[in-house]
Amino acid sequence: MRQGKREAMSDEAVRLDNVALRYDSAEDVLSGVDLILKPGSFTFLTGPSGAGKTSLLKLLYLALPPSRGDVSLLGRRVSALKRDQISALRRRIGVVFQEFRLLDHLTAYENAALPLRVQGLRASDYRADVEELLRWVGLGPRIDANPPQLSGGEQQRVAIARALVNKPDLLIADEPTGNVDPEMGSRLLRLFGELNRRLGTTVLIATHDLTLIREMNAPVLRLQHGLLVRDIEFGGEAV
Amino acid sequence: MSRPAPLLPEGDAREAALFFVVCALCFLAALAALSARASYSAARGWTAEVEGQMTIRLQGEDRRGAAEALDIVQATEGVESARILSRDEVESLLEPSFGAGGLPAGLPMPLILDVYADPEYRDMDETLENRLADSGIGALVDTHSDWAGDVRRALGVVRLVALSTVLLLGATAVAVIAFATHAALLARRDIVEVLHLSGATDRFISRLFERRFWLLGLQAGGVGALFALGTTALVLSLASARGGRSGLLPQLSLDALDFLILVTTPIIAAIAARLAARMTVLRSLKGSL
Ligand SMILES: Nc1ncnc2c1ncn2[C@@H]1O[C@H](COP(=O)(O)OP(=O)(O)OP(=O)(O)O)[C@@H](O)[C@H]1O
Ligand SMILES: [Mg+2]
Repeated sequence: MRQGKREAMSDEAVRLDNVALRYDSAEDVLSGVDLILKPGSFTFLTGPSGAGKTSLLKLLYLALPPSRGDVSLLGRRVSALKRDQISALRRRIGVVFQEFRLLDHLTAYENAALPLRVQGLRASDYRADVEELLRWVGLGPRIDANPPQLSGGEQQRVAIARALVNKPDLLIADEPTGNVDPEMGSRLLRLFGELNRRLGTTVLIATHDLTLIREMNAPVLRLQHGLLVRDIEFGGEAV
Repeated sequence: MSRPAPLLPEGDAREAALFFVVCALCFLAALAALSARASYSAARGWTAEVEGQMTIRLQGEDRRGAAEALDIVQATEGVESARILSRDEVESLLEPSFGAGGLPAGLPMPLILDVYADPEYRDMDETLENRLADSGIGALVDTHSDWAGDVRRALGVVRLVALSTVLLLGATAVAVIAFATHAALLARRDIVEVLHLSGATDRFISRLFERRFWLLGLQAGGVGALFALGTTALVLSLASARGGRSGLLPQLSLDALDFLILVTTPIIAAIAARLAARMTVLRSLKGSL
């Protein structure tokens, strides 16, 4: 599965080398995962509930260090980075969390603008862009509502807006369409596709949604028993 | 455009309790600092009067010997004034021992010189005793410096206690705020993690907490200092109602320096709070990825 010896770093948006992850329990959630995602690729990640999809994504959005193995993102080996460099790397990664993780005391607009705000950018410089993005995901009228006042699907779209607001190089989405109707689901998926084509964003989407997968002609990876395998059912390129 | 909401939600009941604790600590620290400061001026006021003052009791001399002794004393370098106490003065000095009727007839009236010397001259009592002895005059020199020394030592202890109290209260405040920051960090862990994953640096996150506790220190310290000011003013007004003496309280006053203490209290509290918050946040963030 591994593609030859070390390629030029810039040829890989994501590279996992023999990565294992174990929480406090005795058993490995991930054991020996190898993965390479090329820059500008669009990939699905699937697998039964509890297979470790979210765990794998956590390694990729730098919420956890692996218990073993190496993680490289956007050409940088994570274990070699200093804390501030990790912060800088995170700014190039957009994340849609499975459980959204919106801040309840902020409005939809403020939540979506959060990645810009933590970079110290001025609201006057990004306000219009953020509002347009929220309109695009259909939240125009709800822009000043707080998450507890939003439906599950609306919250999900705020979370998606927050992940995209930075025009990230790598987009990681964990069940990003789990709470919206099929129509909104395809619409959001098209948004991801557009981002992928127009900006060259590398996209990795974890999902159970087969219709969604069928809509895109994209490779599908399957997590099973802590290992990552190419899904035979769906064509796609080799990992 | 409205101001964006703060990234850390506004305070809760826990913060009100913290406010009270910091406020009380600042109140006590300001009072202790005022006492320390008062002990300096009290020491100066109480000892200045007696320093340099001494009495010389001549033994077995008559009036003529007294005049000779006076000449010798006056000629001594460092002596600023000297005179022989009059009979009336001596009697009034002795009144506590012998009553208003004066000395019993058989007793000779002691001859006493009242001397004021420059306090800069050390061991003036010995110098005078030796010079008088050289001229064959028996004399006992009594300075009040023992008493002044006692006063100074006592006030020195007061000052030490007050300063240690200030330091102890300051350290307590820092510890309390470090503890509170830790609690706040735990309570806001979800928010901190989202900020982190959105690309916030440790410094950015710590500044959020620093700002919060800086303001808390400033406000709580300000209220505490105001209470200290009120308390001091109350003590002063009670004292002046009783005739201008603040009793055993070393001369509490309210001058420019005291106001400086009261004004710096909240600033020091705020700086301490900020540093405590900063160290706590940065240290605990180090543990995460
Ligand atoms: N923080 C944690 N501590 C301990 N165990 C965990 C933790 N998070 C997940 N797990 C365990 O790791 C395994 C994989 O969980 P994970 O959330 O990655 O699965 P998933 O594939 O995302 O599932 P789903 O499709 O339901 O979202 C599960 O058995 C889960 O119980
Ligand atoms: Mg999951």
